[in-house]
Amino acid sequence: MLEFDGLYKAYGSNQVLEGVGFTVAPGQMFGFCGSNGAGKTTTMRIAMGLARADAGEVRWNGRPVDETVRRRIGYMPEERGLYPKMKVGEQLTYFARLHGLDAGAAARAASMWAERLGLGARRGDRVEKLSLGNQQRVQLAAALVSEPDVLILDEPFSGLDPVGVDSLAEALLEQCRRGVPVVFSSHQLDLVERLCDAVGILARGRIVASGTVTELRSGATGRQLRVVAPDAPAGWAGALPGVRVISEQRGDTVLELVAGADDQQVLAAALATGRVAHFAWREPTLVELFRGAVTETREVAA
Amino acid sequence: MSAPVQTPARETVRPQSPATLVRLVAGREISTRIRDKSFLVGSAVLIVLILGMLVFQVAINSGGDTTRIGVVGGDAATAQALRAQGDALDTRVTVVGFDDEAAARSAVEEQDVDGALLSPTGVQPELLVPSADAAVESLVRGAVQGLAVAGQLDAAGVQLEPPPEVDVVSLDPHAEDRVEATVVALIGVVVLYSLLILFGQFVAQGVVEEKSSRVVELLLATMRPWQLLAGKIIGLGLLGLAQMLVIAVIGVVGALAAGVVDLPGQLIGTVLTVLAWFVLGYAFYASVFAAAASLVSRQEDLGSVITPVSLLLVVGFVVSIQAAQDPTSTLATVTSFVPGLSPLVMPVRMAAGEAAWWEVATAVVLMLGAIAVIVRIGGRVYSGALLRTSGKVTFREALRAERS
Repeated sequence: MLEFDGLYKAYGSNQVLEGVGFTVAPGQMFGFCGSNGAGKTTTMRIAMGLARADAGEVRWNGRPVDETVRRRIGYMPEERGLYPKMKVGEQLTYFARLHGLDAGAAARAASMWAERLGLGARRGDRVEKLSLGNQQRVQLAAALVSEPDVLILDEPFSGLDPVGVDSLAEALLEQCRRGVPVVFSSHQLDLVERLCDAVGILARGRIVASGTVTELRSGATGRQLRVVAPDAPAGWAGALPGVRVISEQRGDTVLELVAGADDQQVLAAALATGRVAHFAWREPTLVELFRGAVTETREVAA
Repeated sequence: MSAPVQTPARETVRPQSPATLVRLVAGREISTRIRDKSFLVGSAVLIVLILGMLVFQVAINSGGDTTRIGVVGGDAATAQALRAQGDALDTRVTVVGFDDEAAARSAVEEQDVDGALLSPTGVQPELLVPSADAAVESLVRGAVQGLAVAGQLDAAGVQLEPPPEVDVVSLDPHAEDRVEATVVALIGVVVLYSLLILFGQFVAQGVVEEKSSRVVELLLATMRPWQLLAGKIIGLGLLGLAQMLVIAVIGVVGALAAGVVDLPGQLIGTVLTVLAWFVLGYAFYASVFAAAASLVSRQEDLGSVITPVSLLLVVGFVVSIQAAQDPTSTLATVTSFVPGLSPLVMPVRMAAGEAAWWEVATAVVLMLGAIAVIVRIGGRVYSGALLRTSGKVTFREALRAERS
């Protein structure tokens, strides 16, 4: 269990984190979302010991994360960091050695990960000669090469082409299957929604929403129903009890129902207008959940 | 919660001990540097320079020290007398026999010989020289006089007692050797200075490279700042020491082979002293360069922080040249104790025989003390500044901030 517990951090008068806390279970993929400057990177840097929290701590299996634990964490910093003049294979071997593999195992792991991330042919090249996308793959390989117990990745998908995204996603899912908790931050919410078991949304130094995507959906305010009735006259649903019209456009209507409102009554009303082409509860996307969560706290804060 | 998954690589994972981490960092420094073209070219240039200096010395020593005298109609005694006179005048004499005057004359004209002596034992010996040459003249004159006196005494049947040898007591028996040792020490200090500057820069560049490429964040997730710093300094230091050794061996072997030096023992002693001072100087300057470099995040800004440190080295170098000329001066004496300057000045004073053992010991202790302080402060500055990868950090900020 990887626990982030009540992290506080201020840089001067700028309070960056105000009690960030969430938990990642072994084998769980945790998507860490938040606007720019929300504090995602700071949170991860605190976990890696690269910044010190003013209060709170990060625990792994109930024990504060210290140097020994950190050597078993695969980390990918937001600002990528590799030796530009070092060859890909040597670089990966070096990082594997630093994380505790012996020489032979490190060399094997380095060539295996280079191969798996599509860098097999570039092993003898200096990192600075690779394209940005390939450098990104090397960076990821550097995080994975020591077969870590925990993965903390800051924006691992940024700058990757769709093929790169897929191979990275596959690699991360495999780590989860191995029982490794994976935390990654991302702005690509569709990707987070597709990959993650759990999501945490960070806004202004606090986790404003966290849980599985389903849990977040059920907690979302109001429930929306989309009805497509091509022949329906304008305002057909306006008079139904507990129903608010969100949008209406040539028979395509989005309605919000208060708790306890009867969706069957809405269907009956729709059928009364003629043909009904579509009638379904609308699942809010993570983007909408994110917007909702972030604006809510903004209102609270204001 | 989840079933344990067997991965073969995991079993071989063990946290590395601090010593192993330092060794890994040092190993990377060495292997990267040793394949770096500019490093190899620089080393080659330095070695060529040392060899050039040797060849130059040999050329100076051999030129003008031998005198070739052509002789027409002389015997073994003539050659003997010329050589003996040469010894007295501190020049090596090579005697070349000619059959007749014409041959001797053309040899003189072609400057094949420095002079030609005709009928040395005759009534009217004659010396042919390309132009008036006092040295050759007095050499030949002395030899001919000696021959004549010996001949006359021999004819008169006089047996001379060999004259008593004069016993020479020099008040400073090693004065000559000291000059030689001082020259060796000075050459050593030139090399020491060059390598301190070179490897100090390597350390500084390495620190900034890690900062500017942000790889430092990955490194610090696996080790403490001091381990990274120690590995870097030790790795490059070993490389520097190896280079110094190569140069020393080439220099010493070359000098002995060429016969430039008279006292091999003292030469080697001086070289070892310089090597020892290199180790001390390097420990000092590498820490200073590393701490200074950690304050900036871009190679472009490096100059602004390492120039002051380099200046200290330049001062030490200038003073050590002064010291070689006048090892007893107050400047040389005082600076040979100042940590940071002592590695450059003390070897020269020691070679000149002007430093008592307790002076050397004091300078070493002061230097060790300074290194201890520098490593502590430098290490703190380094750890404090390492993760501040935006812009320039001031010395005070770095000292105050640990990991913020």
